[in-house]
Order: sequence, then C-alpha cells, then structure tokens
Amino acid sequence: MESNPPLPAPNDLAATWAFLENGIDQIMNRLEEGLSYKRYMDLYTGIYNYCTSSRMNPGFASEPLAGPGSNLNNNRGANLMGSDLYQNLQRYLERHLFTIRENSTQYMDENLLRYYTRHWEKYTTASSYVHHVFRYLNRHWVKREIDEGRKTVYDVYTLTLVSWREHMFKHVERHVMTAVLKLIERQRNGETVETGLVKSVVESFVALGLDDADSSKSTLDVYKDHFERPFVEASEVYYKKESEKFVSENSVTDYMKKAETRLSEEENRVKMYLHTSTNKPLITTCEAVLVKNHTDIMWDEFQNLLNMDKLDDLHRMYSLLSRIPEGLDPLRTRFEEHVRKAGLSAIEKIADQGGETMEPKTYVDALLEVHRKYNDMVTTAFRGEAGFVASLDKACREFVNRNNVCKSSTSKSPELLARFCDSLLRKSAKNPEEGDLEDVLNNIMTVFKYVEDKDVFQKFYSKMLAKRLVNGTSASEDAESSMISKLKEACGFEYTSKLQRMFTDMGLSKDLNDQFKDRFSTDAGDQQVDFSVLVLGTASWPLQPSTTNFIIPEEVEKTFHKFKMFYQNKHSGRKLNWLFHLSKGELKTNYLKASKTTYTFQVSTYQMGILLQYNKDTTYTFEELSQSTDLNAEVLSGQLGILVKAKVLLLSNGAVGEPGSRYDLHMDFKSKKVRIQLNVPVKSEQKVEVEETHKTVEEDRKLLMQAAIVRIMKTRKTMKHVALVNEVISQLSNRFKPKIPDIKKCIDVLLEKEYLERVEGQKDMFSYVA
Amino acid sequence: MTSESSEGKKVTLKSCDDVEFKVEIPVASRSILLKNMIEDVGETDQSIPLPNVNEKVLKKVLEWCQHHVNDPQPTNDDDDSRRRNTEIDDWDQRFLNVEQDMLFEIILAANYLDIKPLLDIGCKTVANMIKGKSPEEIRNTFNIVNDFTPEEEEQIRKENEWAEDR
Repeated sequence: MESNPPLPAPNDLAATWAFLENGIDQIMNRLEEGLSYKRYMDLYTGIYNYCTSSRMNPGFASEPLAGPGSNLNNNRGANLMGSDLYQNLQRYLERHLFTIRENSTQYMDENLLRYYTRHWEKYTTASSYVHHVFRYLNRHWVKREIDEGRKTVYDVYTLTLVSWREHMFKHVERHVMTAVLKLIERQRNGETVETGLVKSVVESFVALGLDDADSSKSTLDVYKDHFERPFVEASEVYYKKESEKFVSENSVTDYMKKAETRLSEEENRVKMYLHTSTNKPLITTCEAVLVKNHTDIMWDEFQNLLNMDKLDDLHRMYSLLSRIPEGLDPLRTRFEEHVRKAGLSAIEKIADQGGETMEPKTYVDALLEVHRKYNDMVTTAFRGEAGFVASLDKACREFVNRNNVCKSSTSKSPELLARFCDSLLRKSAKNPEEGDLEDVLNNIMTVFKYVEDKDVFQKFYSKMLAKRLVNGTSASEDAESSMISKLKEACGFEYTSKLQRMFTDMGLSKDLNDQFKDRFSTDAGDQQVDFSVLVLGTASWPLQPSTTNFIIPEEVEKTFHKFKMFYQNKHSGRKLNWLFHLSKGELKTNYLKASKTTYTFQVSTYQMGILLQYNKDTTYTFEELSQSTDLNAEVLSGQLGILVKAKVLLLSNGAVGEPGSRYDLHMDFKSKKVRIQLNVPVKSEQKVEVEETHKTVEEDRKLLMQAAIVRIMKTRKTMKHVALVNEVISQLSNRFKPKIPDIKKCIDVLLEKEYLERVEGQKDMFSYVA
Repeated sequence: MTSESSEGKKVTLKSCDDVEFKVEIPVASRSILLKNMIEDVGETDQSIPLPNVNEKVLKKVLEWCQHHVNDPQPTNDDDDSRRRNTEIDDWDQRFLNVEQDMLFEIILAANYLDIKPLLDIGCKTVANMIKGKSPEEIRNTFNIVNDFTPEEEEQIRKENEWAEDR
C-alpha cells in the first residue's frame, strides 16, 4: 500500500522534493502496485504549490498582480519557480538509470535484450506518468525556458528520453546491437527466435532520435547510426559469404531460387520488426550482394533457359535482374537475337517444304506461331516489360520482312499476307466460322504491324478486293468491313479510303441496276437479256483496261446500247469504259439434240462472243473467229484453249491458236454437271498481274516520296539535305521504308521541276519555291 | 447524488472543504489535469481530492465545464489566434459577471486544473477591465495602493514611453 504523507509547505524546497521523490520512485519502480487519485493529485499539487509559492501569499486579491517593485527590472515579468525541481528530477533520473545500467552488465545476448527491452518499456510508461504529474512545470517554467531559447531544457518526457540516451543507451548500445545482430543471424540460419525483442529495441532506438534543434521533433539519427548501419553491414557480409558459397556448389537456377527467397525474407524482416525506412538501404545492399555480384553467371544462363523455354526460371531471372540498374539490358539483346533466329528458322523450314509456290496460310501461320510463343513469354516471364516488348517487336519486324521466303524483296511478306486475307474473305468451304474469322483477322493485323512495305499490302489487297467484289465472291460483308476498319485503325483514313470507296460503288451500282430494270421492264416486245452492270470509279479501282478489242455479239448489243443511253441521260459527261475482260455471262444449250438436259455454260464475255457465233454456223476457222469477235490472237487462243479443253468446241485441224486451225461445235456434248464453269483464269495472266502490281508499287512510291518532300518543304521553307531525308523516312515509315538513293532521285526530280532550289552559298541546303 | 445515472460514467471530485461533486468524465476532462490522470490511473471509485479549490469555486468551474463539454479540445496551433482577440461570447460574459474575488479565484482554479480556454477568457475579462484606464483608475478598480516613489514612477513612464498612445 502506498503511504500518504501530508503535502509539504509550498515554499520548502527540501520538503517538497523529498515528497516528490518518494512519489516518482513509486511511479518508476512500483507502478504495478497502482497509484491512487489522491497520491496523483498530491504530487501534482505539490509541484503546483511550489511553483506558485512566490505569490501564494494570503489575500491574493489585495496584492498587486505584478510582483513587488524591486522585480520590475527583470524583464521576464513574473518570476517563475521550477528550475530546482527540474534539476532535482534530472539528477534523480541519472541515479535511477545508473542502477539499471549497472544491473545490465550481468546479462549478455538474448538475456541482455530481454533486460533492455523490459526496462525500456517500464521506464517509458512511468515517464509518461511523470510527464503528466509535472505538467504544471511543463506548462510554465519549462515552456518559458524553451521560449527563451534554452536548448538544454526539455519537457519532462523528453528529459526522460534524453536521460536514457545519455545514461543508459550510450553505455549499453554496443552490447545490445551485438546481441541483436547475433539474434538476426540465427534467424537467417533458420532458427526460430524471439523477434519481439528486436522490434522493441528498434522502437527504443527510434524514440531516442530527438532533434537537438527542436525537441518537439524527432529524427531517425540514432536508429540510422546505431542500428541500421551496423545491421546493413552485417547483412552484406552474411549474404556475400553465403551467396559465393552457394553459387560454387549449386546450379544457377537453384541460386536464383535461393536469392529470390532471401530477398523476400529480408523484405518481410523489415515489415515484421524493423523501421520501414530500412527497407531501401537493406534491400539495395542485398540486391547488390545477391544479384549484382552474380549477374555474369545469370546472363550466361539466359540463353540456355531460352533454348529450353524455362518460363519459371526466366521469370525469376527477370525479376532478380530487374532489381538492379542495367541488369536487363543484355537479356533484351539476347532475347531479340533469339526471337529473330527462331523466326528465321521457322520460315526456313516451311520454305524448304513449300518450294516455289508458298501457301500464304502456311507462311502467315509460321510467322504467327513464332510471335505468339515469344509474346506469351514476354507477358508471362517478363511481365510485359516495355523493353522486352520493344525487343520482340524489333525481332519480329526483322524476320517478317527479311527471311528465306522473301529473299528477293521485302514486298513478298505483304503480298503473301494480302493473299491470305483474300483466301479468308473469299467464298470457300474451308473458311473459318465467323467468330474464329475475327480472331484470324486480328492475327493478320499482328503480322501486318511488322510489315514494312504496307503500301505493297495495300496494292495487293485492293486488287484482290476488287476481284472479290466484281466476281461476287466475297464471303461476308461484315468480315470485309471489319478488316477494313482494322486497317484504318492501324494506318489511318487515307490508307483505306479507296477500299471504302469500292464498297460505295458496289452499293450505287445495285441501285442503278434496279432503276434500269424498272425503267425498261414495261418495254414489251423487245427481246430482253438478263443484264446487270457495275459502274466503278477509275480512281478507286485497281482495274486494268482490256488489252484487246471486242465486238459485242448482236444478241446483247441492244441492251448494251440501252444502258449506255440510260446512263448518259442520268450522268451526262461521264465516260463509260467497258471492261469486258472482267465481265461474264451465262449461255444455255439448245443445240444438243441427243441430250434431254439443257446445260448452262458460265462463260467470260469473250467466250460468249465466240460461242454465240455458233448460232449461225457450226464450224469456224481461227481467222474467221478472229474477224467476227475482233479479239486479238493471244486472248482468242487462250479462250479457245479453255473451250476446247472442256470439249464444248472440237479442234478439227491444227493446234489451238495456230493459223488455219478449225473449231467445230461439239454436238454430242455431255457433262455430269448441269452448270459448267468455263470462266477460269488463263494461267499466264496471273503471273503478269503480280509483276505489274509490284511495278505500280514502285511508281506510287516515287509519287509518295515526292509528295512528302513537297509537304515538308512547304512547312519548313528551308532545310538541310540530311534533315529532309530523315523527315521523309519518318513520315513514310507507316507505309514503307524509303531507300535513301530513291529519296535523292526524287529531290533531283523536284529540283528539275523547280519545286525546290538549292540555297546559294550553303552546302546541301534546299529551299521551297512557292 | 446517490443513484448511479445511466448516462455515461462519472467521477467524484472533492473540494478542499470536503464537498463532493459527481460529474461525468467528459465534463471533468475539460481539465487536462483530470483528463490525464483518469487516463493514466484508470477509472476507479475513489474520489478525487482537489486540495486547492473550494466548493464555491469548483461549483462555478464545473458549471463552465458542463456548458462547454462539447467544445473541441484546444490545440497549440490556435493559441495565438485565440489570444489575439479579446472577444468573449455572451454566455461566458454572463458567467464571468461575478465579484472580483470570485473572478480571480476562477482564474486560479483554471490555471491549477489546466483548463486553458477558461483561463484565457478569465484573463481577457481582467484585461478588458484595465483597458482604457489611467493608472489611478486601475488602482481604484483593483484596490491597489500606490507604493512607487515619484522618481520610480517617472522612470517607469520613460521606459514605457513607446507604448503610450500618441
């Protein structure tokens, strides 16, 4: 039980301090026994009474508020009592801590930590009581001292901390840290230890970080200097030794697992019982020792992991090396090289199998397969990190444009890609379902992104689109427009404007046909031919004019003229060019006496022109047919070849196309099918077309380069040669990769045409001529 | 006083002349002294002796605490702004409209119990009593005997010349 001595006389320092010391001693040493309200109030009142004793004379109201006149020269105003109590308290704390310190010397290691933390907790709890009991002193005397700039006076709680730091911490800190480091090392070695001890030590060291300039603020100086620094140093030594030993005895992949575990352990350690600010110095040090010191062996291992597709290990290596600056750079370079080689060898494999004619699907699938594999690797193992994405893109661009199949030129890839598109969008039994088709189209766009000669793709694509539309072989309008919007998204409005225009023409033509039919359906008496026409704008459609003359057979001539009139009435001034080589028709057989069935021949317009001649006679020579149809020899013999092969006509003299050869109508024609497709392309035509397409690309590029040069010079007015060339390359990069000599040629052309001129006196400088 | 009220916990305060007051903890906690102590020691049935406050004054102080029970606790930051203005709200003005002796006793109690806002308005009230008065009037107001010699008085006036209204 506590004793309750009576309050001392207010102005008796000795009695007051004796009274207080008794109470403080109780709080410091026997707080667990409890403290009564009365005792607490007495201690507070004792301090209050002492501090106010100078003016606590009887009859306060009759006394002057200020002290007696003799005090007036003291500009501190009212005299504040308290320094004696403060100094007594300070001395008390020193004595108290001395005892604690002396007793600590018998302990070591964990026991010392237990002793230190137990006393620290007890001391700080008691101190906060003492701080409150001394609140009157804090509010007045201490506050005044601090306000006046006295650096060595603190509020009572801070005083207790400063005292601990001076009389306890400074003397035992080294032993405490030795114990802490031993404990942590034991934990690193796999033992279970009482981490709460370290946590308390940390809290103590942090609390002792008092800002000398302003005691109300705290710093981490004590913790940083006395805990963190030795701890981080010890960690470095420990892991240097451990990692070197481990590396010499284990594989690189095992080492990476070890390093990963160790790093996450250390991150947890900070979370569990250290100050959060230690995370950075500790982890940086561990990264240096565990990762940076061993980068060479990891870099060396990378190729093996790639070769074996070890995604987990690759990811582990990525996360470890991403921790240190420049750790990933060699990986990115190697990865790029690896992907490029993988792409090239994949293409080489199919090139060997495919021979001369490369199936577009096989080719594109091979490209995609490589891309898919390494794209997955980037997302899973390398977490989609931008540097690896860039390496992947670079490698893909390389093997998409320059590989075994497109040895001759970079325009082979876009051509094959466009052909693949065509095969997907054309009516065919093999086509994928609508949902799958969308995926395949997206895949095509993946490859498209890497294609350098996007203009070549555009050429082939529009050619084949035109064919699909003219021949009515497009499988789905939705798929067509989906593909076009993808291209638009990738290359902009201009890239697809012609393609879109083609669809518009198709729609307009349909309306036109309907109107034409409406207008002439009432014309009774005329022999009507079922007729439809497509009117297509020359500018948007990549259609070649016919290479031959052609006399329209009289059976359809009337309708032909009627439509011409109808159209000219509607749109005067427009010129219609008839592309008979792209037109087709159907003929019914009424001449086969032996057969009950009537066959339908699906024929080209030229074939129609030939066959309709046989309404008048059943045999003609090559020369006669040439005269009656006005087709040139090449086209005529090509068409005749097909008809002879299908046994619609019989060659009765010479070889097909030879002068004097004769062609009889086959009167006993027989076929299993009722409809016979005779409108098949002539082989030689196809090859010519491909070559022509490539040729037009070259022409278009010249125009594009010239346009770009003029555009740039118009805005810049004057420009250096090198800068201009670079600007042209960058502006056209989403279409194709211009060659520098070609750009130079274009500049020369423009100089000649006087769009540009050389600036006199300045080397390689051009200016724009308005 | 005898029946334990259901509304919030109470503590018993005992004045120096042995009169007990049962007050709710939030009311008592307007005094930082009592607030800290209740938090440190914990809530018990013991009465809390206040050796420096008598019944009359304690009653008055508790009346103020009750009225201001929901005021926010003052922080160090608003110290200056609160001190700078001399305005006192109506209730407080009426509350402090008491005999001079009582006013001083309230100020002392507020200082002892560590009730800063009450201490402040008490001091402001006194300051308002001084404001605008000549030394002689001040002496009359507070019943002060002039114990300066004329020489001393002259010296003080000189030293404080800077503060004079001009």
